[in-house]
Amino acid sequence: MSTQEKTAVILCACSGIITERIDWGKVQALLASHPGRPLFKVDQLACGADNLEELAVWLTAEKPARVVVAACSPREHETTFRRLLSDAGLNPYFLQFVNVREQVSWVTCDPQAATAKAARLIHAALNRVSRHEALSERSVPVITDVAVIGAGPAGMQAALTLARAGRQVTLIEKEPVIGGLPVRFEELFPNLECGPCLLEPIMGELLHGPESARVNLLTLSEVTQVKGSFGNWTLSVAQKPRYVNAELCIGCMMCAAVCPARRPNRWNGAGEMAAVDVPFAGALPNLPQVDEAACLRLKGETCEACTAECPVEGSLDFDDLPREYTVQAGAVVIATGAVERQELPPLFAGLADVRTAYGFERLLAMNGPTGGELTLDRGAAPGSLAIVQCAGSLDPEEIPYCSGTCCRAALKYAHLAASKVEGLAVTRLVREQSVPGVDARRQLENDHARVVRYGGLAGLKVEGDGAGRRIVTHDGSVVPAELILLCRPVVPGEGTASLAELLELDRDQGGFLAPLHPLSGSCEAALKGIFLAGSCRGPADVREAFATGTAAAGLALSELVVGRDLVIDPQVAVVDAERCAGCRTCLTLCPYKAISWHAVDKVAEVSDLLCRGCGTCVAACPAGAITGRGFSRDMLRAELTGVLS
Amino acid sequence: MTCQSLPVAKTVAAKSPAASDRALKVVAFLCNWCSYAGADKAGSNQLAVPPEVSVIRVMCSGRVEPTLILEAFEKGADGVMVLACHPGDCHYKEGNLRAFCRAELLERMLPQLGVPAERYRFDYVSAAEADKFSQLTGAFVAKLRALA
Repeated sequence: MSTQEKTAVILCACSGIITERIDWGKVQALLASHPGRPLFKVDQLACGADNLEELAVWLTAEKPARVVVAACSPREHETTFRRLLSDAGLNPYFLQFVNVREQVSWVTCDPQAATAKAARLIHAALNRVSRHEALSERSVPVITDVAVIGAGPAGMQAALTLARAGRQVTLIEKEPVIGGLPVRFEELFPNLECGPCLLEPIMGELLHGPESARVNLLTLSEVTQVKGSFGNWTLSVAQKPRYVNAELCIGCMMCAAVCPARRPNRWNGAGEMAAVDVPFAGALPNLPQVDEAACLRLKGETCEACTAECPVEGSLDFDDLPREYTVQAGAVVIATGAVERQELPPLFAGLADVRTAYGFERLLAMNGPTGGELTLDRGAAPGSLAIVQCAGSLDPEEIPYCSGTCCRAALKYAHLAASKVEGLAVTRLVREQSVPGVDARRQLENDHARVVRYGGLAGLKVEGDGAGRRIVTHDGSVVPAELILLCRPVVPGEGTASLAELLELDRDQGGFLAPLHPLSGSCEAALKGIFLAGSCRGPADVREAFATGTAAAGLALSELVVGRDLVIDPQVAVVDAERCAGCRTCLTLCPYKAISWHAVDKVAEVSDLLCRGCGTCVAACPAGAITGRGFSRDMLRAELTGVLS
Repeated sequence: MTCQSLPVAKTVAAKSPAASDRALKVVAFLCNWCSYAGADKAGSNQLAVPPEVSVIRVMCSGRVEPTLILEAFEKGADGVMVLACHPGDCHYKEGNLRAFCRAELLERMLPQLGVPAERYRFDYVSAAEADKFSQLTGAFVAKLRALA
């Protein structure tokens, strides 16, 4: 900026609020000889619509080189006045704001002191603004396709919502089947609605409905790497071989019927299944999967049982190989869910007839290991059932938080168990009980269990065995417990930790993915372009999974609009390659991994897409090679000199 | 403490007439998201802030390099403050922790350069802590007056 050019200085009275303590006449007299050649204009209320119009006319006529506005907090009106500069044909970053309302007139009793301080701050602003550079926002096109990780209720709902809006979706699921946990549950709280009946139409729509053309489902797949940033993510996805050709297989399951090899059915938490099989009847997609560890042929033995029986030649493909996919997406919805902690507390480890909640759900299910019969290990019906709630939750030794969903599930278990075994004595042992909601009332009022309060697992004893087994509480209550059901803590799903690491996402104390804000931003991560759905955010029920799946999809749709570019704030850090000594100090400092190493030139580079303009690298660079645009060393020094003059 | 009840200048002037001859120069670097918002709130609540304090807004306390603080003293500042978001609350995740590390370094380095360490103050002020901002700045200026 040449010394001959003027700086417009707008002095706002804020309807007399500022001028109650600050004398703008004196300020003008004090600053008249500033080398920035200030051209003052006192305005009664500069942010008023009419006033802004007049100011735009004034600025257009005067053509100042820079503008200083002394008014309220820049947190309130800096954008307003940037727009004013644009309207007047000036670069919006040629503005420096001086906060004379909140930080001078409202906090200074003595009008003389307030006037002197205002003059000092405006003096500094005049110094600073002369160093301001013209900056402009950069637009980059965004990919509007979305990747959804996890095909439980939350992920399926997000994928379908996005596909219905016309977006291409890649739905990535680590299991061979979709539907998450509740598709394995016979009944869902609170209305005892059938889980598969609720979810199968949704899964069907994903696989075969009109939207299915826009959903690319990758089962047996996990994300191994994520690069890029909001609008331009690149995901590397590794897919395990299924050894079944999805194009040819008709899902008749003749292979499973003849397969001689067995493997434990981990989806049921009990029983066995064939080496080539689906985890349970009705699982979708309707394709068997061959287990490498169990299949005789994959272990090198000679076995032709399944291929001989298969009616469609080529359906079984033992030459199938792991695949790598590259998925481009503008946003990522994480819906990796939660699981129950599997390890049993020492008190119950090794005991017969102890179940955890998910295994119990499978016992109740018609397509489970017992065909829906509630049985003991030896096959007989139990005479008594003790449901131990909070078995590890609200417990400083395990997880200190409430798992949130077990009280409601336990009411359901009591109801279903009592209806399956006549005369079954059901007891619910609770530490605390929370069953909120109008529609839960009916379950609570028709509780099939006796409720016994206990103080924690450490105070419980298990005595006797078989039909006479009982749990004795700390205060001597005796609970018949031929079958024991433990409601174990709900913890983050397996994919959650690895994704958190890949994307460097924050996690809460329970290991769940931390939201941008716990109340107002609970379906998005702090990292822009990453949305959260379902119980990766914390224990959630099916209703919350659907709601947050819809919410995450909605956020992705509102952020990634077809035809609308991503606008990048120009106030970012830039490296002067000439001055960069290549020490790499900045690379480890950046909280957003926005700085990368240019291997050829051996200098650091800042991605303006990722940089948030904090300036930590600017302050740390020993060579002074990084400039914080809008907050450069030169600008801050000029301001400092001004306030100390 | 309200604006009306802060007779800092008067009381100090009564105690030490020499000190009142020269106005103190105090620079406070405030991060945009927490401490600057806290300072704004001190204004909204009409709490007193000594007029000697000049605020320089930065986006993050991590932006303030130690040389900028040394330069402030070189240019005649009587005191320099750096106020940051509380640990864990940084808008930029961890810039405030960088600022904290630099503060530890500065507190050891300043006396070697002839600047008493108490002329420099690093602290945390949240967007809600209007009172704390008012009290911190008031106490800091009072201490600087005593040093003068």
